[in-house]
Amino acid sequence: MKKNQMVKIYLFFAVLISALVFMVYFPRLTLPLGFSYILYLMINPLTSKVLRGNNQQRIIYSLFFTACACLLVIPLVATLYNAETDFKQLLKHIPELRVKLQFKYIQFRELFLDKTGVKLSLDPVTYIMRNVESQGANLLSSIPSLVSSVLEWMLLVPLFLYFFFKESKTLKIKFMEFIPNSIFEKTYVLFSQFNTKFGEYIIAKFIEATILGSLVTLGLMLVGFPYPFILGIIAGVTNILPYVGPIIGFIPALAVALLSQNPDVSLVSVSIIYLIANAVDMVLVFPLLVSKIVNLHPILVVVSVLAGGQIGGAVGMIVVIPMVAFIQLLFKEIYQDLNAQ
Amino acid sequence: MSYEERKKELGPDDNSERLNINLLRYMWEASPLYFKESYHTYFRNLSIFKSFSDNDIRIFTTYLHRREFEANELIFKYGDSGYGFYFIHSGSVSIQEPNGEEIVNLGEKNFFGELALLEEGHRRPATAVASGPTVLLGVFKPDIDKMLESHPVLGAKFIHEAAMILASKVGYMTKEIMTLRRKIELLEKKN
Repeated sequence: MKKNQMVKIYLFFAVLISALVFMVYFPRLTLPLGFSYILYLMINPLTSKVLRGNNQQRIIYSLFFTACACLLVIPLVATLYNAETDFKQLLKHIPELRVKLQFKYIQFRELFLDKTGVKLSLDPVTYIMRNVESQGANLLSSIPSLVSSVLEWMLLVPLFLYFFFKESKTLKIKFMEFIPNSIFEKTYVLFSQFNTKFGEYIIAKFIEATILGSLVTLGLMLVGFPYPFILGIIAGVTNILPYVGPIIGFIPALAVALLSQNPDVSLVSVSIIYLIANAVDMVLVFPLLVSKIVNLHPILVVVSVLAGGQIGGAVGMIVVIPMVAFIQLLFKEIYQDLNAQ
Repeated sequence: MSYEERKKELGPDDNSERLNINLLRYMWEASPLYFKESYHTYFRNLSIFKSFSDNDIRIFTTYLHRREFEANELIFKYGDSGYGFYFIHSGSVSIQEPNGEEIVNLGEKNFFGELALLEEGHRRPATAVASGPTVLLGVFKPDIDKMLESHPVLGAKFIHEAAMILASKVGYMTKEIMTLRRKIELLEKKN
């Protein structure tokens, strides 16, 4: 390889690394930018479907997607609105909950002492409740900064989204011109595959979480269980975590059912609702929507999600799966090339 | 006042109000909006774009990637995964066997690599090297997928043309094989 071709490759990677460093050190700009990009990847496949064909087809497609968006957004907004009421109620009940938990724990400690002769010196209830209260106080104190960042995002995200839609094709071709010839084909193909898979995965996960959350909320409302909206959101969000997510999502409902003295609240009915919702997800939603997009080994999925959660929190958990699928694709490509040589 | 009345008033030989096309062209080309890298004329003259309308070509060119190669720079080598179909805009490309022996030298307005768009997991059957400073216009598998998604008729037309090129190459190769087989049979009979 000639010297200037090597220089081009080094320069390209230097620019790439500098961009990554910039992104890490300026999260205030890169987070809304990344969020806008994810939104763009989610909406873009739909726009190409809307824009193609004749005017009649365009109108039909537009109406269809608007209806789908309404079906998704209206329950989501309603749930978020009602979740606020649920959350306030839950906060009111925290001292009561603490007393109940403490009482149950003392009962358990005595039973444990009778059966084993070992006295438990730990006091996890106080520790957990103190943590919950301090987190709540932190959340309250951070509300002003949270509001200002929400306002900032409300301004930046539509702006970035507009530019992604308007300029993405030109920008992509201009960016591709910087890629050295020797690695161009592979880089371009992998970049395109990653973009497509990433967009498809995010939209599939979003739909999956919405369906599961809605099913749980509806079921809980039908049996008259308290906090149906907030429990529905928790079930939907925790569903991001494959395999263990549904169990984690069930724990709050289990706690509410165990601690409630209301005779309407039955542990069996709640368990059946969660089982049905998760069965629908496992049998219908997941195989039809998500599994076709990423073909990863179940253990690899769990390990990746845990690592993603450790590094990047909830966002890390969502983003890590398509990232790992991309790395797998990259290794496969390198391995095939080595084999061919 | 109508055009005819104005023409009568000025007289038949007066061309002072005639539209000066050359001046307009100069003004347009001098403006910053003028896009000098237009590949329309280039593709209009290529046989595989015979069935394409001007608008088809305009849309097709938005999917192209311009790649500049220096003399003796490798474009792809034998056994590489292939994803791109290239048109030679300027310069020339040497198609070589893995040992470096030249099979053919392709000049301007030629194209190569069409198999990469049609075959899944395609591996390059030969090495391509730029003979001199060369400009290639490449279209790649993801571009074709996008084209089929947003401009399905254009995408299908292009794939059809690529398949036609391949069919003609396969036809030519079949004839060559038959000729060689006959020659071998003749040689065997002689011996």
